[in-house]
Amino acid sequence: MADSLADACTPLKRSYDTCFNAWFEGYLEPAVAAGSVGAKEREEYSKQKAQEFEANCGKLWVSYKACVQNALKENGLDHLLQQTREEHPMKEPVTP
Amino acid sequence: MHFFNQVFNYDHPWSHVVIGMWHKYPNPKCSHVVSIDVLDRSVDPVTGIIRTERVLGCKQKAPGWILKMFGGSEDAYVREISFIDPKNQRASISSVNMSLNNVAQCLESIEYRPASQTHTSFLQTAEITARMAIWRSVADGVERWMLQRFQDNAALGKLAFTDVLRNLWEERNVQAVAAL
Repeated sequence: MADSLADACTPLKRSYDTCFNAWFEGYLEPAVAAGSVGAKEREEYSKQKAQEFEANCGKLWVSYKACVQNALKENGLDHLLQQTREEHPMKEPVTP
Repeated sequence: MHFFNQVFNYDHPWSHVVIGMWHKYPNPKCSHVVSIDVLDRSVDPVTGIIRTERVLGCKQKAPGWILKMFGGSEDAYVREISFIDPKNQRASISSVNMSLNNVAQCLESIEYRPASQTHTSFLQTAEITARMAIWRSVADGVERWMLQRFQDNAALGKLAFTDVLRNLWEERNVQAVAAL
């Protein structure tokens, strides 16, 4: 697993990544399979899974995120990030 | 402006590729990528689409003449946004350089879609544009350096990810068989 940009955040990152990967793998196959189900059921499944993600990984995310935000500031990257986000919000997928 | 594109298939089903995406680094073939952090992640409760924003830290030195002219250092950062849509089996990933952003921009777009039950198609494009009002020859030089680096990294990336997918899924097949 890759390191964080700040050494102090790496263990927090690893815990979070592990949590996400476990959840994601459980999420993906059924979500793909649910392609054939109705929209209502799919929505229920997505909603339930989103809640599950928050429940399982929410706390880890909070600690990790706080650490990264701090690291970005210390490295002088926060303004740069802000600029990039403003120029390319990327709120929707774009096809190449 | 300079452009790049490549298309090819990975010998893995789409869901395996998308799971493998998160395991791509660290990678000896892509040693220039030294850090990755998730900045934001959301699961859309209606569409089921997962949007992830990450920042990748790279150690890749720009040529001396660029450093002298524009500053910059060995540390380069890239912002990556990905959308994973399980319902439509589409993963789209966009990246843009944060570093040297005022000089030139390299905007990359990747899409993974199933090519079949067992294969996944990979489509990658990049658009490289010098930004400042600088001499044409300088703009051209910067773009060409960025393009060359992008091509080199894209070639390494392809080899690296092929290895990652093979190792990840072979290991799991072995475990599955052992568990029988």
